[in-house]
Amino acid sequence: MVGTAPFPCRTTDYLFLTQCEGWISQNAVYFNHVWLAIMYHFLQTGIHRVRALCRILRLTFLMEETAETHFKQAYEHPNFIRVSLQKKEVLAGCCVLATCRQHSWPIAMGTICCLLEANPRLIGVVYQEMVKTLKIEAPPTSIINLLETHCQAYKLSPQHVHEELSESSKDLTKRAAVLLELAADAWLVTGRQPIPILTASIFLAWQSLKPTQTRLKYTLARFCQMAKVTKSSIAPKRVTELKEVLCKLGQELPWLRGDEVTPQTVIQMVDDILNHRLTLLRRALSSHEEALASESVLPPSLEDSIPGSHTNTTCLEGAVSSQTPGQTPKDPFVGEPDTVSVQQQGDVDLTCTVVMEGLPHTGPGTDSQHSQPSVPNSGKRSLFEPPSVRYAKIRRVLVPVVEVTGDEEISDSEIDSYIRTPQEIRDYVEAKEALASSDDEF
Amino acid sequence: DMEQNNSLPPFQGLASPQGAMTPGIPIFSPMMPYGSGLTPQPVTNTNSLSLLEEQHRQQQQQQASTQQGGVSGGSGQTPQLYHSQTVTTTTLPGNTPLYTTTPLTPMTPITPATPASESSGIVPQLQNIVSTVNLGCKLDLKTIALRARNAEYNPKRFAAVIMRIREPRTTALIFSSGKMVCTGAKSEEQSRLAARKYARVVQKLGFPAKFLDFKIQNMVGSCDVKFPIRLEGLVLTHQQFSSYEPELFPGLIYRMIKPRIVLLIFVSGKVVLTGAKVRGEIYEAFENIYPILKGFRKTT
Repeated sequence: MVGTAPFPCRTTDYLFLTQCEGWISQNAVYFNHVWLAIMYHFLQTGIHRVRALCRILRLTFLMEETAETHFKQAYEHPNFIRVSLQKKEVLAGCCVLATCRQHSWPIAMGTICCLLEANPRLIGVVYQEMVKTLKIEAPPTSIINLLETHCQAYKLSPQHVHEELSESSKDLTKRAAVLLELAADAWLVTGRQPIPILTASIFLAWQSLKPTQTRLKYTLARFCQMAKVTKSSIAPKRVTELKEVLCKLGQELPWLRGDEVTPQTVIQMVDDILNHRLTLLRRALSSHEEALASESVLPPSLEDSIPGSHTNTTCLEGAVSSQTPGQTPKDPFVGEPDTVSVQQQGDVDLTCTVVMEGLPHTGPGTDSQHSQPSVPNSGKRSLFEPPSVRYAKIRRVLVPVVEVTGDEEISDSEIDSYIRTPQEIRDYVEAKEALASSDDEF
Repeated sequence: DMEQNNSLPPFQGLASPQGAMTPGIPIFSPMMPYGSGLTPQPVTNTNSLSLLEEQHRQQQQQQASTQQGGVSGGSGQTPQLYHSQTVTTTTLPGNTPLYTTTPLTPMTPITPATPASESSGIVPQLQNIVSTVNLGCKLDLKTIALRARNAEYNPKRFAAVIMRIREPRTTALIFSSGKMVCTGAKSEEQSRLAARKYARVVQKLGFPAKFLDFKIQNMVGSCDVKFPIRLEGLVLTHQQFSSYEPELFPGLIYRMIKPRIVLLIFVSGKVVLTGAKVRGEIYEAFENIYPILKGFRKTT
């Protein structure tokens, strides 16, 4: 005899199916075999979904098999067997994503979101749960690997756009890769969404490969429309940031003779900037160090008192160490593109240059015995710094932490201040009734 | 959410013919903003990025034959992206990304071999303590909401009274079972004092509240290492403990095993530590992670 739980009513297919799951599990004694059959049905549906995703993404047969195996293992695991159907759908995409990462197949999580039309947060949750459950190692896709596939989405071949605006995917990828690497060096990539910076790199690469007036007049939005890619609201900010970096390097080009490089004029110089990137970086860092050194001089007594701090000398290893005293601070500009031999002359540290500590002071709320001086982030004093360091949020003023034991006497007056008086209670009840009656009227 | 799944999934009818592994024409060609492309190809050694990758590979080969260990003076080295303190690098299987790292320090962050003299000198500050206590009696939440000034109760939204006090500045969730959660304190003692005050308020409202089984459930601390961090490098060398998905969250989630603490590490150098039952776990976790983070301070 069937249990007394009411049978779910058929409202929608999905609701019906999920309620079936719940109802059947309540009457498990009688419908255990039915439940198993339904689970097997959903498993097969999920496997079909995995296969479809693999074919859409044109994965290899081996990858398809791996994805199916992952899905079967995850689906039958106690962590996933009773999750909602929506999560099971997303699980299929997550298995495909994990497989792609294991095989270094460049694919963004957003692609799976798009294909499944699912919430990115849900995909993130299910993906992390799946990876933990199956104990698989799926290294995240590097942004540089995503670049090539991202470039292919841009319709810029001669059959799609005018010849003056067309660009081959190969050239575009090559130029964008260098720009992307520069962006990564300048801390524009870490901790940020990859797609907007990819879009920005490709846009600037396209403009700089043939910096004609026609191309320079194109805005990012118009470029995306032409190339038939989705516009990103964040990409314009990345374009601005990348141009700032290019301006800092372009400023060091010796043939400019001190002329200012603006975001409007820098595109024409991108070719030269990228060809001499390393030398320009070194020169820019040297100029920056000189500027910082001339700003303030730290008293010798304070240099060693700050934990983890550096002295007045730079942390720029190699670039400065390769210079002997007496040499001019800046490297002589060779005028030829940076080659491997030039690169070998020294490495460039963009994150740590001169660290000039301020005077030590104890901030409020410090609960340590030893007072820490207010040491600025070393990124703040370098030429390039993560934007979250440069534009740090204004901190709330910390209230001094009152030391308590937890067993203090609690005064009655303080507790009474949290209790309503009888009059307040009456007023509150009257107000509530008045509100309730006015709601009924409407 | 269920409405979205009302219709059949979009993949119905898209199954390729039997035996067709790589269809000749694209079956599904939406505008995919996330760049998987219709013809994704894994990065190989012969792609258009080979110039930069070739240089990088040569650098790796040279480094493998040059000095070992520590950070060199920089001669013979080229800018390395997301590089740890080592000079030797390994490529990931099937991939030659531009950003490669090699683990010099052991992969386990349990207890790195850091002498006490190299302590970071940075002390994480406690930001939030979550504690629970049993008031030992059933409570009428409507009465509490009616008679207490500092209480809010909306049973349709949440089945507990939300009460707040000024000092220590905290919030409590009071359930009809008599169990209570206290959040927002900056120290264990403050949390205990606050919980006692809430219990006193409930007593004053006429309930025989006790103070049973007070327990700290979670402690959250934060600090700043004062240098930017290459998260991409860290996730590669500490894969089994790290999760870094910039599409979802800007920070790297590091799940330390011993002590069992979760760290959120951000590019700015700020670190959040959570999951501790005692404050010593926060301090220990930070001392464990600091030398690892220092390894990703420089790009060389």
